[in-house]
Amino acid sequence: MYHPLAFVLAFAHIAAAIALLNGILTTIGQGNVAAKAIESIARQPEARGPITTNMFIGLAMAETSGIYGFVIAILILFVRPLIGPYLEYLTNPRFPVVQTVCELVTCLPL
Amino acid sequence: MFDVAVPIHGVVNIFGFDLWITNTIVVSWVVSAILLTFAIVARIKLKSFTDKPKGFQNVVEMMVGAFDGFMKSNGTPKIQWMGGWFFTLFAFLLISNIFGLLPGQRPPTADWPLPFALALTSFFFIQFSGIRHNGWGYIKRTYLSPHPVFLPVNILGEFSRPISLSFRLFGNILGGLILVSLIYGIAPVIARFAIPVALHLIFDLAFGALQAFIFTILSLTFVGLAAAES
Repeated sequence: MYHPLAFVLAFAHIAAAIALLNGILTTIGQGNVAAKAIESIARQPEARGPITTNMFIGLAMAETSGIYGFVIAILILFVRPLIGPYLEYLTNPRFPVVQTVCELVTCLPL
Repeated sequence: MFDVAVPIHGVVNIFGFDLWITNTIVVSWVVSAILLTFAIVARIKLKSFTDKPKGFQNVVEMMVGAFDGFMKSNGTPKIQWMGGWFFTLFAFLLISNIFGLLPGQRPPTADWPLPFALALTSFFFIQFSGIRHNGWGYIKRTYLSPHPVFLPVNILGEFSRPISLSFRLFGNILGGLILVSLIYGIAPVIARFAIPVALHLIFDLAFGALQAFIFTILSLTFVGLAAAES
């Protein structure tokens, strides 16, 4: 038997880690942008300035989804929007099934 | 242990509303004061400027010249009159982002409302320049195309711009802040002078300047696109 909130916190950390996994694809996309930009500079060294500027715009655009994942992870970890509803479920007598499930889950020998 | 929540210095009650004086408000006022002081000093010294620049005049001319080149190479000729606003935006963001270098301070852009307010002004300028250069037909072409049924989708698409702009800046700065704070927590006492200095250089100086630049140039691109649409 352990505190029921421990279960929620553990899954919140796992969820934050999953939300950060989109960094993989974001990084691949940003790598593609930088590689193409370097190819263009190697082909046309005189157009270095505009290509660099546009490369930064493309990098920022590709970064957006990664930043969204990061913000979601921060929200899950520090703002904890799920704990309030969970506590309400635990104490509200209108949800007897949820309470039974929660009691069963917290009794698991982990 | 590091706390993500922004420190609150006090609560002021104005006409029944609780106005929270957060660290963000104080620091952004300090940044504004720094920029205003610089501007006033430059304005006073403007009379003594000569044909042969030296010292302070060199610095001011270099900054203005660099930003003029930036506007000319990245902005369309239609939106050159907005250069002052973008220069202000860039200067404010730059000083804000590197404010975390001061001991015990955190950059005000690591709190979401400030980037969102700046992004909302960018949103306003996008609509304003579109209407000014293309007439009221810009609103019709942007929001009611290809059919008035698509109005909600178009509104969502337009409002996603300030949100993504502000989240990009906020996420980068907050990520750097959290990472540096964690390293401060786990580094041994002897290494606390060496490792965080390098991280501060990367996350505060380099990424801060880069994100200020990206915020400015993305706003510039959006405004230019809205002005050029016909």
